[in-house]
Amino acid sequence: MLEIENLEAGYGGLPILKGVSLRIGRNESVAIIGANGAGKSTLVQAICGLIPATSGRIVQQGREIHHLPAHERAQRGIAVVLEGRRLFGELTVRQNLMLALAHGMRRGADQQIFSLERILELFAFMSGRLDARVELLSGGEQQMVAIARALLLQPEVLIMDEPSTGLAPKVVRDIVEVIERLRAGGMSVILVEQNVAIAAQTSERAYVMSLGKLVYEIAPGGWDDFRNNEALVRAYLGGQ
Amino acid sequence: MPAQRDSALSAPAVSAAFQRWTIVVALVAIWLVVPWFISRTVVDMLVFTGLYTIAGLGVAFLLGQCGIVSLAQSVFYGIGAYSTAYCALQLGWPATAGVALGAGLSAAIAVLVGWPVLRLSGYFLALATLALAIIGHVLFLEWDWLTGGTLGIGGIPPIALSGFELNSPVRFYYFLWPIVALVVWMHYNLLNSRTGFAMRAMRDAPAAALVLGIDTHALKVKMFVLSAVLGSVAGSLFAHYVSFISVDSFGVDRAINFLLIAVLGGAKTIAGPILGALFITVTPHALSRLGDIHALLFAACLILVVIFLPGGFGGALRDLVRRLGRRRRR
Repeated sequence: MLEIENLEAGYGGLPILKGVSLRIGRNESVAIIGANGAGKSTLVQAICGLIPATSGRIVQQGREIHHLPAHERAQRGIAVVLEGRRLFGELTVRQNLMLALAHGMRRGADQQIFSLERILELFAFMSGRLDARVELLSGGEQQMVAIARALLLQPEVLIMDEPSTGLAPKVVRDIVEVIERLRAGGMSVILVEQNVAIAAQTSERAYVMSLGKLVYEIAPGGWDDFRNNEALVRAYLGGQ
Repeated sequence: MPAQRDSALSAPAVSAAFQRWTIVVALVAIWLVVPWFISRTVVDMLVFTGLYTIAGLGVAFLLGQCGIVSLAQSVFYGIGAYSTAYCALQLGWPATAGVALGAGLSAAIAVLVGWPVLRLSGYFLALATLALAIIGHVLFLEWDWLTGGTLGIGGIPPIALSGFELNSPVRFYYFLWPIVALVVWMHYNLLNSRTGFAMRAMRDAPAAALVLGIDTHALKVKMFVLSAVLGSVAGSLFAHYVSFISVDSFGVDRAINFLLIAVLGGAKTIAGPILGALFITVTPHALSRLGDIHALLFAACLILVVIFLPGGFGGALRDLVRRLGRRRRR
């Protein structure tokens, strides 16, 4: 589905990612965990094309995509929920969603995974708020709109960059539930998280990132071993 | 239940449609009768207000919807004017051909220049468009075999509609303002279209717009082309109206005027460019009666407007209408 080989990227000549390699298969959910400054968000930006890769390859379904601009990667099914939501505040919920529908991956109507109706089933609160300006919604509702918008791109891979940051525990539980439903529905999800508990709840396996490198891989069923290894957790996650 | 919902929805909908049509009828009535009650000089100012509205609107939607500061509009205004003058005087073509040639040339230049320049942003983009304005002015001056340089080009014939010449301010006024209304209506529709939403998305969160599949660079170039075409059309109409053009009309000060129209009028509002153009046309004329100090007073006016009306005249008008609406609902 998505393979990353020896990816290097950074900002203004400053290397941040130093040879990152990972893969995610179809219908798989993978977490990338790490402390602040580990390079997680840089990895997300490099995958979706917001910053260029200085070397390495990104391959989606056997086709190299690392040379493509960000909008073309989105149209090919790489959807991202960026950190901090970054919604279009002046637009209504409906207009935010319609933009995604208009620009997302081209599929026939019968192949569409997510229609507006399905989104409204998944996020019930939106039915009554479609014509509300997004900037007037609560933080949790805005995060849901950001996820819904990404889903309407009809993605093959959904990448979420710290979707739980700054949200109340109840909202975080709602988001976890949405991710679990997406996973059960066969979506490939890359979840970038600092919170190990959320990552373990929503992902089969994970990579631990530190100083721009993937330093440890948590295999399926290996979450408990990782969490019980205090030295490892303290070394890479700052003692969570 | 559905019937109830329909009736509940239809009452405000009918009311809104009635209000809209009342405003349209009132504006048409004003357009028709105004020249009967004002002097020729004021009609002349209204013609310039209309011309500046068309060109200023091009700058306004770039600024207000796309976040692009363009100081290059004077170049396209000039290209429109010189194209139509060349077509009319050298080729003997009708005004429509001159307007079309100017618009086509401006669009082509906007693509060629916009494609590299619009990769810049913020101050760098503003400076690059200023450089375009300066280069354009220098070329208009140096290519005197085509533009007449500082001596200019005279004798540009007025627009003729089936033999009826628009050779007076009043005639041109009646011809021009429906075009202004059409352009403003198209602007309104653009802002409420998918492209309009994409423009605002690009302005508010460029990274999010990109990962949503919006080709922001191509969108910027398209909007720059549209802006250039509006500037060119305004320039062509200007040439036919004044019948004499020279390089002095297409300098950097004109580019700044177009930007002022957008900023003072309110770049995010529909009525903004009209109000900005009216201010830019009428205020210097009114202040000129006070003698040499008029330029200083005009500058003071600009500062006061920017301080006290940060959303421009259009923004202030919109806030006033919203406030009145809320008071009426209470």
